[in-house]
Amino acid sequence: MNLLGNVLSYQHFPIYAIMVLFMGSFLIAAFGENRRVRNILALLSITASLIFSLLLINPVILRGEIIGYWMGARSIAGGYAIGIALEVDALSLFFALLAACAIFVSGVYSIQYMSRDDNEKEYYTLYLLLCGGVMGMVLSGDLFNMFIMVEILTFAAVALTAFRNTARGAVEAAFKYLVVGCMGSTFILVGTAMLYAQTHTLNLAQLAQLVPGNMNTATKAAFALLFVGFGTKAFIVPFHPLAADAHGAAPASVSVIISGVLTKSGIYGIIRITYFLFQSMGLGTMQFLLVFIGSVSMFVCVTMALAQHDFKRLLAFHSISQIGYVLTAVGLCTALGLSAGLYHAINHTLFKGLLFLAAGAVLHETGTTDLNKLGGLARKMPHTTVLFLIGALSISGVPPFNGFASKWLIYQATYQKAVESGNIGFLLVTVIALITSVLTLASFVKVSHSVFFGQLPPELEKVKEVSWGMRFAMGIFALLCIVTGLFPNLVTTYLTEPAAAAAFSVQRYIEAMGFDGSAAVEILAGSFRYAGVWEPVSWLLVLCIALLAVTIAALAGRYDNVSLCRTAAGDSKYQLFYGGEEQSFSQLGGDDMFWGFKHNWRGYFSFMHRLHSGIVNDYALWAVADLALVMLFSLIVL
Amino acid sequence: MTVILEALRYLGYVLVFPGFLFCFLAGMLLCGIDRKLVAKMQKRVGPPILQPFYDFFKLCGKETIVPAAAERISFMLAPLLGLAALVVIQLFIPVFSFTAFYGMADIIVILYLLLIPAISIIMGGAASGSPYAGVGLSREMVTIISCELPLVLVLLAVAKTVGSAMGTGLCFSLSDIAEYQEINGSLITRISMLPAAAAMLLVIPGETGSHPFDTAEAETEICEGLLAEYSGAALGVFKLSHAVKMLTLSSLFAALFLGGLGTGILVLDALLLFLLCAGITAVSISLVHAVTARLKIEQIFKFYWTVVSLPALLSLVLAWYGL
Amino acid sequence: MFKKLIEESTGRSPWLFHINAGSCNGCDIELVSVLTPRYDAERLGFKLAGSPRHADIVVVTGPVTKQSLPRVLRTISQVPEPRCIVTMGSCPQSGNVFRGSYSVAGPLSKYVPVDVDVAGCAPKPEAVIDGLALAAKILKEKRGRMK
Repeated sequence: MNLLGNVLSYQHFPIYAIMVLFMGSFLIAAFGENRRVRNILALLSITASLIFSLLLINPVILRGEIIGYWMGARSIAGGYAIGIALEVDALSLFFALLAACAIFVSGVYSIQYMSRDDNEKEYYTLYLLLCGGVMGMVLSGDLFNMFIMVEILTFAAVALTAFRNTARGAVEAAFKYLVVGCMGSTFILVGTAMLYAQTHTLNLAQLAQLVPGNMNTATKAAFALLFVGFGTKAFIVPFHPLAADAHGAAPASVSVIISGVLTKSGIYGIIRITYFLFQSMGLGTMQFLLVFIGSVSMFVCVTMALAQHDFKRLLAFHSISQIGYVLTAVGLCTALGLSAGLYHAINHTLFKGLLFLAAGAVLHETGTTDLNKLGGLARKMPHTTVLFLIGALSISGVPPFNGFASKWLIYQATYQKAVESGNIGFLLVTVIALITSVLTLASFVKVSHSVFFGQLPPELEKVKEVSWGMRFAMGIFALLCIVTGLFPNLVTTYLTEPAAAAAFSVQRYIEAMGFDGSAAVEILAGSFRYAGVWEPVSWLLVLCIALLAVTIAALAGRYDNVSLCRTAAGDSKYQLFYGGEEQSFSQLGGDDMFWGFKHNWRGYFSFMHRLHSGIVNDYALWAVADLALVMLFSLIVL
Repeated sequence: MTVILEALRYLGYVLVFPGFLFCFLAGMLLCGIDRKLVAKMQKRVGPPILQPFYDFFKLCGKETIVPAAAERISFMLAPLLGLAALVVIQLFIPVFSFTAFYGMADIIVILYLLLIPAISIIMGGAASGSPYAGVGLSREMVTIISCELPLVLVLLAVAKTVGSAMGTGLCFSLSDIAEYQEINGSLITRISMLPAAAAMLLVIPGETGSHPFDTAEAETEICEGLLAEYSGAALGVFKLSHAVKMLTLSSLFAALFLGGLGTGILVLDALLLFLLCAGITAVSISLVHAVTARLKIEQIFKFYWTVVSLPALLSLVLAWYGL
Repeated sequence: MFKKLIEESTGRSPWLFHINAGSCNGCDIELVSVLTPRYDAERLGFKLAGSPRHADIVVVTGPVTKQSLPRVLRTISQVPEPRCIVTMGSCPQSGNVFRGSYSVAGPLSKYVPVDVDVAGCAPKPEAVIDGLALAAKILKEKRGRMK
């Protein structure tokens, strides 16, 4: 009985949450020949992982504990951490929850989405490895273990990118991802080794205790290596072209994990090293680095997305654009900024997951994601259309969906930072963020017109709605999008503010593992008040009343009394007006939209076109150049 | 009992003032005044002031045809959603010292709420399946992008001016902006706000899609673009929305720059607001309409991101340095 | 009362859609001149619409050539009820000087009921306005007959 109680103590839950995913992966590899066994094993492990993460909310977020967990009951010897440790504070758990939710929904979706592919056994093995890697990385309390997990997830992600290797570009995308991803992993490894040489420890808490007082050229170089290494995992500029290739080629359920979770683990790594290990976020220059990269990512990627004509590549660029928002907000280093950034991280996982699943649904039914070949699917796939629209409006920051709630906080945070620091540069960031939002809307108007509205191409006449399982998975994301949009106060109070507070309490993080944290540089988070007001629930209520009033008035005026085409073959009255000609298929291609905008920016677009050559050597060069610049920067300012 | 009375009061706000009835009457009258003024400027007699009402009621009596290629539900729902969203925005804009729904939305929210009517017309047009609507929606979206930058700069400039004067650094709340102007006089009297006000006057015709910036609905080249397939009552609702949008944007201008003129008596204030809106419309929509020819879409973009954005930026920089 | 309001409004807000059925362009120019400041048909509520879906009155000019006939009929069928058809100039009425040509399928009244004919080559703007005003009156009556 005592043993059982011990085994079920919440102290063990973090390792369980990681372990069940790896166990599931190995079991499927061993016994996954049977389809039913395989599905049950996969569902069991993702559900168990989700439950263990949810159970941790009570102690870690509500009671504010930090779980320090030594594997195999090893602990500190001779003042140095020898064993492998997990350390779970509100920040880790925040990212773990995000991962667990996305993994769960995408796993449910996979079951029917992947049913037409071969090698499903390998798919689930790799999928669960990827998930386990992400989970392990965010819960780890040890820098080297973070590296191991990053390796696992990178290789699983590369293999999954090339999973549909008969599809055009899949192997090429995987190769690019492999080359640059491995460079990133190597940077992390070298950075870890350099830190180990300086401090003789790999434990995050002990590193956080020792590194800030021990700044020399080697640790500064290690910072640059780690920063760029985690940057490749988050695909921030200049690594964004990889994301586009990888997401475009991978199955949609994997894209959800790569874009919604893997990029977040990169952001998590960046938060850990800047806020914790080096405690350098108090420096204005360090804030500049993060905000600069974030703003450039958000703007460059949204313009790149406008120029795409493949549904999934477009979503991939938007992913990085939204990650740019997160990084910018995190880089502000204020309580409001960090909370806003983490809020946007949740929202990005939800709406981008939804959009990728919708893209997957379109691919599943029509066999293509080319915007120039699709159209008019709203009449064939009404539910998918509604779900897609929820996702599209969320990402474009249209009230009352969740994207608006977090972007609203980000605008305030950047503007407030500008006012507080007196630096007009942050004001520019606010303007960029606002403009990026409307450009996002533009590219989703393009997608909704080219895929779901407009005219149905004759070859898509036989398309049907996707199966209930896939709609259910999308429905979960859509519901969460609406809930997190309507109750921003709940999300900030119970999720993002505790996580943000954890990022500002380095001392507690160090002391939870039994080290001396008195020397930690505490950044004062500062208090904040909102400069504006936004009450989504009351607003929605007013909108509903207004809509009801309009509808009643319209119905009273017999608005619904419309002339519909009753006959099967085209009565000319119900044909579209073609200047008098007979109706024929004519759909404005995705490429041709927003000409007036693209024309004015043709110099910029052709420059970008030349820059993104698609050659992996160039991208490797970018990685090295980025490393050199960041290293120079950190040697000067740290 | 008091709860019911409160609910009735708010329902009154939604339905009568500053909600539907006011929007309907004032918006349509504004539209009529605009048409009359343009006619006078072109030395014509012009239609009667009540012409928009005739147009609306006529459209209500016409047959509504839904094309066979259209997605029926979105096609018919889009006009209603657009109108409802516009009326809701009107509820949040203070009428001098009076705000119907206090503390629910700020200027950033208004900026994004203004997108909803545009999205609904885009969705409606896209759902019709017409190729003219495809071209129209592409142009409409570019017009929105064009207007966004100057509008953002104007709003940030106002937020900064009011915020630093109130000691909070920045202020996004419209009712606080109204309150500030009650005490300190209209913002337009400050030199730093003059360029922003001028920019805002040029943003209004772009946002409403009126004459020189109406490429999205150009009737002579792309057959009314997004509205090409709309007929009858659905078209009537879109025409009404267009009129209400003129009212909304001009009263937003009044709230941002001409606050503090109110008398405290609601009826007089409403009348005053309407007169101000008519004045703003006369300058920003009618005058510009009468003296210009339609621009091309890439010219619109260039115009807004340079000629209109620069004064707005100037205003923001002046406000930043506390002038 | 509502019905009365609609009926009254219908007569005061007729929107025009102009179809050129092979016209020599003379009538087209005259139609545009009706909307200029000198004649200003807008004071009666007339407006040129860009799409047949918005129109109340269809103005047809030209002798209705064989090429244009199906297009004219299709466009007219796309105009929502109540609608009026006005022929402008002598061509759509009688074929005028093109009568008997191998390529002319007119007059228009062979294919659709025409409400008002404005004769002349080209008709004076005053005559056009008069014809359109008559069409507006017919439009109002048609609306009154609708349920």
